[in-house]
Amino acid sequence: MTLYTVDTLLTLVLLSVLFAFGSSRVPALIKVMAFQGIVVSIIPFFITPHMATGAVIFTIATLVIRGVLIPLSIHLAIRKVAIQRDVAPIVGYHASLFFGLGLIVAAAVISRYLNIPSISDSQLLFPAAISLLVTGMFLLMARRNAIAMVIGYIMLENGIYLMGTTFSVRARHIVEFGILLDVLAGVMIMAVILQNIKQTFDDVDTSLLRTLKE
Amino acid sequence: MVEMVFITPFVTGLLAFVLPKAVSRQLLVLTGAVHLVLSLLLWKNTPQAFFAEYFAVTPEGLLSLLVISLLFFLISIYTTGYLAAHSLKSENIFTGFMLLFLSTMTMVTLSDHIMVLWIAIEATTLASAPLIYTHRSGASLEATWKYVLICSVGIAMALVGSLFLTFSMELGGVTSAMSFSALTPVAGQLDPAWLKAGFIFIVVGYGTKMGLAPMHTWLPDAHSEAPSPASALLSGVLLNCAYLGIFKTNKIMVSAGLSDFSGTILIVFGLLSIVAAATYILKQTEYKRMLAYSSIENMGIIALGTGIGGLGVYGAVICMIHHSLIKSSLFLSSGNILMGYKDRLIANTGQMAKQMPKTFVAFFAGFAGISGFPPFGIFIGELFIIMAAFKTGHYLAAGIFIFSLCVIFAGFARQVMAICFDTPTETDTQPAADQKNFLFKEPPGMVWPQYVLLLTSLILCFFIPDALYQTIVDAVHAIGGGLQ
Repeated sequence: MTLYTVDTLLTLVLLSVLFAFGSSRVPALIKVMAFQGIVVSIIPFFITPHMATGAVIFTIATLVIRGVLIPLSIHLAIRKVAIQRDVAPIVGYHASLFFGLGLIVAAAVISRYLNIPSISDSQLLFPAAISLLVTGMFLLMARRNAIAMVIGYIMLENGIYLMGTTFSVRARHIVEFGILLDVLAGVMIMAVILQNIKQTFDDVDTSLLRTLKE
Repeated sequence: MVEMVFITPFVTGLLAFVLPKAVSRQLLVLTGAVHLVLSLLLWKNTPQAFFAEYFAVTPEGLLSLLVISLLFFLISIYTTGYLAAHSLKSENIFTGFMLLFLSTMTMVTLSDHIMVLWIAIEATTLASAPLIYTHRSGASLEATWKYVLICSVGIAMALVGSLFLTFSMELGGVTSAMSFSALTPVAGQLDPAWLKAGFIFIVVGYGTKMGLAPMHTWLPDAHSEAPSPASALLSGVLLNCAYLGIFKTNKIMVSAGLSDFSGTILIVFGLLSIVAAATYILKQTEYKRMLAYSSIENMGIIALGTGIGGLGVYGAVICMIHHSLIKSSLFLSSGNILMGYKDRLIANTGQMAKQMPKTFVAFFAGFAGISGFPPFGIFIGELFIIMAAFKTGHYLAAGIFIFSLCVIFAGFARQVMAICFDTPTETDTQPAADQKNFLFKEPPGMVWPQYVLLLTSLILCFFIPDALYQTIVDAVHAIGGGLQ
């Protein structure tokens, strides 16, 4: 029964992937990212029905960091600088959406052929993880807006977390927590850089960052 | 207790944020000295780590740690002079993050757990990003942005690779700890498909941090925009830390009998980096970027040597040690050049032999060393790698390698000659740097660290202490290398 719940939650993740491909506004993208962070971090609750106290605490910490702190820091960064809100796509939205659909199908097909341990119970865990990874990469490459690129990085990290959920259940939480802290610190530093980019160049379009070449 | 080595700089780093500037500077040197003593103690008797599951003292770790320690100590002495000459607005942030950077790099060398290693390497990125942004200019902001984003994404790939390693453990029914030392003996049981996939992701991930082409694009920007002491650390030791991640994973691959697979990948990335460096070094107009490309070249050489195996691995480790010593001295000298001429462009420098004789000696000797001239160690390392390449039948790789070395030498030599002996071109905005307006007097603290670094490299060529030799042999033995 819980597995159905997991797969239902994962369809929400896949849906958020499509939203991310289609969003043209930065605030919408942040909302998608926050939603995704929350869904991704509560999945361990449904995979293992009887969790140890340490695991529960760790999962809640993940929820707070991925679902609240990371989106909040990005939100605050752009609030302070009152930024133009378009994500400046290199690849158009329709093409992006089409790519997203193809990606989900491809991820589902590929996962069937991969011999993945202990994830096989859930039909969608690996496809969703791969989709998130590639979506993150796509946003990093196909958007010129620096904020959209940071959001891409966060989605990438969400995907990796999802891929490792079955692993995280048996691993040491202190190690997992270290990874999480690294990601959080990385996002905070990126947020600071975003503010500075805005102040220095009066925009967050990365095509302005072109003084250094070769 | 092994952990003390990285906890000490972490604590002093935090202190440096709040202490007065003058105290922080002293603290930097003091921590460097203490750190050097602590790492030497690790050499004397190898203690058990308190958290033995996560940290361990390994031969390759000891080697890198000693290099880090020695370099940091000398660079910290240079830095006090550098800080006295510059009035940085945020000096405390600079010294604090230098120390945190040292702490995270030390943690990399002592990590044994696969994930802890990842955490430590990602932490080095975060601790060094503020160093690159020290000058607060648009260009340094761009360099920091590129550095943080490209390296974070790259290292995220290494995390995917590390996860794949856990998959291969699970499929192979391996229940040991997730540490390199525990996995290497049982590597044969790991699922080879996931292990190979994991290795590819880890090489791409840590290779980004190491500066292997085509993931190297952040490196010239970061190295040229950072203040020179930070560039020396970035180039001298940070790249080695990333290499350590690849080295340790390669150990598992070799032990699993997949050395052909991993070797081919490393050779391809190595050659790509060497060729990319040869292409770009020819048309460089800035001396710090030129040095950065030379770092990419040397990282390529190290990857190539590791991939070839046998004598090549020994050559790679020799190259790694000597590259650290020589390149950091070159970056420190480049700091002096920048202070003297107040310009990054090679065209606006000249006649350094006359203007800054002491820096000239260090810079020129460093150039000779880094281009692989005897009696410096890189010559021996490169020779070993070429010999190993011929022995194992990698004729094409050896050919490309030797050709690129010649091109790089030609490009490098032209630029260095221009800096040292050319008469500076006079432009409208920039008067020629003649004796009159040449204000930079070379203080001893900003010259002899370079001399010590170069001398160490020179001495290590003729005389390697037994303990050091044995450690190198132990380190390379684990990935099928040796002196045969």
